[in-house]
Parts: sequence; C-alpha cells; structure tokens
Amino acid sequence: MDFAIHNSQSRTIVYAKMPPPLFTTRESEGSSTLLDEKLLRFMEQLELLEEKRASLNSLIEQGWFSMSKARYSMGNKHVSPLQYASEMEPLVLVHAKTLDSGELDFSTERFEQKCCKEVGADNRSIEEIGPQEKGVRRRIKPKEDITKKAVNEETSSENAPEVTPVTKSDQNLQQDPLKWFGILVPQSLKHAQLSFKQVLELSAEIATLQTAVLSTRQELKHSKKHKHEEASATQLDSVAD
Amino acid sequence: MLSVISFNVDHGYLEGLVRGMKAGILTRADYHNLAQCDTLEDMKLHLQCTDYGKTLSSSEDDLTVSLVDSKLRENLVAEFSCLRSNALPPLSTFLDYITYSYMIDNVVMLITGALKQRDVAELLPRCHPLGAFDQMAAVGIARTPTELYSAVLVDTPLAQFFQDAVSESNLDEMEAEILRNKLFKAYLESFHSFCKNIGGATKDIMCPILEFEADRRAFIITVNSFGTDLSNAERSALYPACGRLHPEGLCLLGAAQDAAQVKDVADRYPAYKIIFEEPEPGSGFKTLEDRFFEQEVKLNTLAFLQQFHFGVFYSYIKLKEQESRNIVWIAECVTQRQKSKIHNYITIFQGTEQ
Repeated sequence: MDFAIHNSQSRTIVYAKMPPPLFTTRESEGSSTLLDEKLLRFMEQLELLEEKRASLNSLIEQGWFSMSKARYSMGNKHVSPLQYASEMEPLVLVHAKTLDSGELDFSTERFEQKCCKEVGADNRSIEEIGPQEKGVRRRIKPKEDITKKAVNEETSSENAPEVTPVTKSDQNLQQDPLKWFGILVPQSLKHAQLSFKQVLELSAEIATLQTAVLSTRQELKHSKKHKHEEASATQLDSVAD
Repeated sequence: MLSVISFNVDHGYLEGLVRGMKAGILTRADYHNLAQCDTLEDMKLHLQCTDYGKTLSSSEDDLTVSLVDSKLRENLVAEFSCLRSNALPPLSTFLDYITYSYMIDNVVMLITGALKQRDVAELLPRCHPLGAFDQMAAVGIARTPTELYSAVLVDTPLAQFFQDAVSESNLDEMEAEILRNKLFKAYLESFHSFCKNIGGATKDIMCPILEFEADRRAFIITVNSFGTDLSNAERSALYPACGRLHPEGLCLLGAAQDAAQVKDVADRYPAYKIIFEEPEPGSGFKTLEDRFFEQEVKLNTLAFLQQFHFGVFYSYIKLKEQESRNIVWIAECVTQRQKSKIHNYITIFQGTEQ
C-alpha cells in the first residue's frame, strides 16, 4: 500500500494504489476499518512529530541567538567555556519506562536538590564518553535508567553541544547554571536559559513520539499482512465452494 | 587647568594621532556591505578594505566569531599602546584610568575562573590585554576580598579602589559580583573627580559621559537584580554616586521592586525617560542595554567637536569598542543565519561628516 501525504499545512491525505477489498465479508470489513484507524493514527502522529521538531529547531535557534545578544551586552569573553567547570552535575534526568503496549515512554524530571534514591530495574553505571580526566573519582550508583547531562547549561558557539553523561565527584553543588555567568546577568541570557529548558522537555516528548510512530508503523505492516492473508483465505474458500 | 595654548606642546601629537585613527571608524556604508555578507570569509574580505586591513587575514586558525572578536581587540590594544607609550602626564594618568575598568573585569574573570577550577594558564590569554598587570596570575589564589587586597592587589593601581570592597566573606559568585561592582563604583567616582580637577574642556566633555555611565550602571544593576538573591540594601551599596541620579534617584532605585518602579524613577529625568520609553510599534525591539549603548555613542561622538582636551582619547576607545561589538554582532547573525536582526548595530558616524 502506498500512500502520500499531500503536505502537513493543507492536511490532505491522499491514498493511492490501495487495493480494494475482494470480498466484503464482515471479517474483512472489520480488519479494513482497523487498518484505516491505524493509518489515520500514524498520520496524526507524524504530523505532530513534524510540528514538534519544527518547534524544537526554532527554540534552539532562539536560544543560541539570545546568547549572542547576551554576549553583545556582556562582552564576548564573558559568555564562553571559561565560565563553567569541566565537570558538572546534571539538573535534569530522563526517565525511560516501558509501557504495557511495549512502547518506550521518556519523561524529564528536574532536580531541585541532590537525592539518592535507588530505582529498580537496570542499574547501569553512568558512562562517560570522551576523554577522561586523570584522578580518582567516586562513581555514584545510578539513580535512574538513563542519565543525561544537564543540557540547560549554556555552551558557547565554539563547542558543539555534546550530550555526555558525566561521572561526578562528591561535593559538586547543584547550581542554577545562570549563576556561572554572574549574578546580575542581562535578560537575554535568562531568555536563552528558558528556551533551552523548553528544548529539554520537548526532546523527551519527541523521543516518545518517535518510538510511538515506529511502533504504529510496525502495527500497520502486521495488519496489512493479516488482511491479505484473510482475503486470500476467503478467496480460496469461495473457489472451493 | 590646562591652557588651550599650551595643550599642543605635550599632547598635540597624540591628539592628532587619535583624530587620524578616528577617521578610520567604519561608516554606514561599511556596515551595509558587511551586513550583505553570507559567510565570515566574505566579511574578512570586506574588512580588508577598511582600516583593519590584514588584521583578520594574518591568522591561520579557522575563522570563528570568537577569533574575529580577539583580532579586533588586538587591533585596539595596539592603537592604545601606541598612544599610552607616548603620553606625558596628565594624559598618561588619564589613559591609565581608562585601563582600570579592564583590570577590574580581569580580576573578576580570574576569580570566577578559579572557582570553576579553570587553569590559570587557560584564563590568562582570555583576559583583556588593556587590563593586564603583573600580579594577575596570583589572583585566583585569594579566598576573600581582604586576602585579595592584602596579598595580591595592594601593589597594583586597583588598591586605591578597595576601601569599601574589603570583606571577610568567601569569594563565591555573589561576592565576586559584589566585588566587581564596588570596585567599579570606586573607580568611576575617582575618575570623575580626576576629570573635574583637570577642568576646562576635559571636564566639560568627560564629566557628562562619566555621569551617564554611573547612572547607567545604577539602572542596569537594579533591573538585573530582580529575581536574584541580591537584597535591596546590598544593591544600593553598588550604585556609583557621581551621576545625576545621586542622591534622590539612587534612593528611589534602591527601593524599587520591579521594572515599572524603575521606569517611574527614569521618568523624572528627561534624558533617561527617552531610554525607558516604550518603542513605537513597528520599530525593531531593542533591549535596555542597546538603548544605553546608543546614548553612550551619541555622547562620545560629541567629544570630537572640541579640541585640546583628553576626552577624545576616552571616546575613541569607547567608539572602537562599539565598532567591535557591531562587527561581532553582524558576524553572529551571519553565522547563525538570523538576517532579520542583523541591523541592530549602532552606526557611529554617518559617513561624510567626520
């Protein structure tokens, strides 16, 4: 079955080359309706995904641009990698849980202060990707399944924003990253932080939506296959009769 | 009191030099060309036709916005060093006063860098060269402002600004910010009285500029402190007292709790009322800092209308800094493809009337 999306703005969905059902038994009617429903759901999810992605892109651009404005007011060297430590502790964690339907659901949780609860399942230790610094550090037990670095710190345009989980050393204070640049920071820097915070939450939603889209696509394939098998079985029956 | 007749004996050459350099400041047409560029390489080519010449071409590193900023700064530092090395008192003292603000910024940058466990070797190259002093490497070691003063800065020119800034509290982000503003307050007041003592055209040009600077700092500190842990009392201690807001305006600002109250205070002073006014619909949105920068540029361009005073040196440095900011802004817009906001720079001289 081929289908084409006209375009998301005009919202018309065009089906092409969908084979008509050969026999209109009640069963094949039922599975056709199911297939239609799944297809519609798939389309809606895709559309939502597109919208969220577009919004993510524009928020990221906005964030970087607000940072440039902050650099204009504060001075270029005052909003740069010099202002943050090379080791830092995440303020936002990502929870991944598997729903009954088998889909993965991602949600973000923002820390107000350090907490050390153990959460069941998968005690993977926090991986560190990238060059390691020398020195002995105590690896803390993982708090959740997946831990992401706090993406809501500001990185300058010189650094590509890498998502690297970090190992922590004990006494790091969890601090609002805005304070790295001074106490009296201009409004544009605060706007930048806000944009990046929204980006974080949106990323988790997009990840969830993406897995949902993939699983809906799988379901569609299965339903289509099932329907074809049904149709050919009914055909054989009627020929036999 | 500097006599108009004898000014040229000691300072005429340098005034001539600075006026020559001022003629190379980018004009509206130059900015227009730069704004048309699509890449940093194009901008480099355009800048070669200006007084910047081969400044950007000489480096082999990848062209980034940060590199552009560093090169422009180097250029300004070279020009300033040329002026300073040939200066006689009192111009030499005046030029030294200009460098103290950069020294204060460097000290705070070194302190906050040390808080983040940044290596001194990494921080020193990023400090502003105009504010370099011998004991810079040792600044990161101090734990409290008192220690900073007695161990490190007592032999530097910044020592004179430490009267109110000494305290025993640990140097964390808040203390570093408070230290920065207290040092700057003392510096500005000292500079203001120095210019007043020189008298003549220098006083007439410089004192309004420094008063504006003091008032600007008071407003910006107030506006940026909303939502932070800085208390009203602590904030009031940071306001420089040499501006027009002193004393009534500063009292009112100290008590302000939100942006509307700040605007009320500004409305009592015609010059600041304009800055805080709502923009007309349709014109691009400008931040408060942008509007203060615009006003600063206007005041600084006035310095060149009179002769035989030191204000031209100060104004030249500040205008070149604004030019750097403009070029870096255009560069950022070009690299981030945000062409809609590219015209937010401030044109300094219109073009033909230099």
